Amino acid sequence: MDKFAKDGDYLTVFLPATSEALVFRVRSIVNKAFNLIDYGPLPIHQGTVLKTIDGTSTTTSDYGVLPARAYTDPIQFPTQLNVYDNTDMWYIPKEYRDRLFHAIQYVKPAWIRVEVQIPTGTIQNRFQKERVMGGVERDFGYSRGSIEVIHFPEVHYGFRYCNDLNIDVNTFVRFEYAEYKIEIPMDAQLIYDILIRKVPSVWVSLPYSVEDSTFQSSLVKTYGITGFPLRGINERDKAIREYQSLLKDVKSVWGGSE
Amino acid sequence: MKELITVYGSATPTASGQSGDFTLNSQIAYNTFNYIRIPKGTKLKIWAKRISGTTTFTFIVNYTPNIISRSPNWTTLGSEYLSSPGTLELEKRKPIIVNGFTGNEAIKLSYSNTGGSGTLTVEVDIEITDEE
Repeated sequence: MDKFAKDGDYLTVFLPATSEALVFRVRSIVNKAFNLIDYGPLPIHQGTVLKTIDGTSTTTSDYGVLPARAYTDPIQFPTQLNVYDNTDMWYIPKEYRDRLFHAIQYVKPAWIRVEVQIPTGTIQNRFQKERVMGGVERDFGYSRGSIEVIHFPEVHYGFRYCNDLNIDVNTFVRFEYAEYKIEIPMDAQLIYDILIRKVPSVWVSLPYSVEDSTFQSSLVKTYGITGFPLRGINERDKAIREYQSLLKDVKSVWGGSE
Repeated sequence: MKELITVYGSATPTASGQSGDFTLNSQIAYNTFNYIRIPKGTKLKIWAKRISGTTTFTFIVNYTPNIISRSPNWTTLGSEYLSSPGTLELEKRKPIIVNGFTGNEAIKLSYSNTGGSGTLTVEVDIEITDEE
């Protein structure tokens, strides 16, 4: 659990696309003794037609099998559990704003390329501003074997996978996660100190490099704001005034203003 | 990233002098395969080999830099000779390493039978990693 925040820690989720960050205090981690979900095979159904990185297409032979050289469309994680949305086990609505899921996804075999779209359909892996799009089917824009995200309410995340070996592989996914019970600190000075790293926090940069209006409006629906802009250490007074103004719009995590 | 897998295969040559490639399988593979293509930016390490046979044969690790060529040019990276029927277990403290520079590199496992008819079996522990 070293990668995760601990009870009482501050958690900063940085959004590179907007140079803003959301700052939370972790009131507690509610799944401390059970932080693994052995999800099972990737939810790829038998008979699914997938494109290959060689420019052809192929059909999956069985559930959870990723064919040789093939890559998927964006995948969410369905479940038979009685979750809020059983087509996407990580999706929660804005009313769950006192909860935040920090999840690291491990895929087997570990050579599988992984990419996340936030929200589903928005490619976040770009090169030279937005000039070139990356992704699992290209030479950049992916990681192999694992990916870390913070799941915000009201947002569906889409994951894509590519198997660049010549072997059809049986897949498996494990999630290591923390369900944080959170609050937004209501002190502008403290937020400033966290964002200039004077006060320690667990800092997670979300793979969100292209601003998306759906994602931004989801943050507003959930928290009332899209985040706190990062300011330099020479902009203290300006930053604190700005943060004080933003804090007036922050929705209470305890079911307050809508 | 690193993934350690065991691949295995068998062959049944009927006479001395016969050679061929092992058809391979692995728990992680859905079906059989004849070679392993090394993903671009990773390296393949061969850590251990278990070779057994009811006859004598030479076990060969072959490499090609370009598996997508119409007729790949295979060269021998290493070989082991099973000099009498039985089992040979070899573990490498320093593995055989093959880099995936272009994504077109591949290895295959082959045999050259030196005894009579028999069954040849191999199990090889392979790591695919992007670490040193």
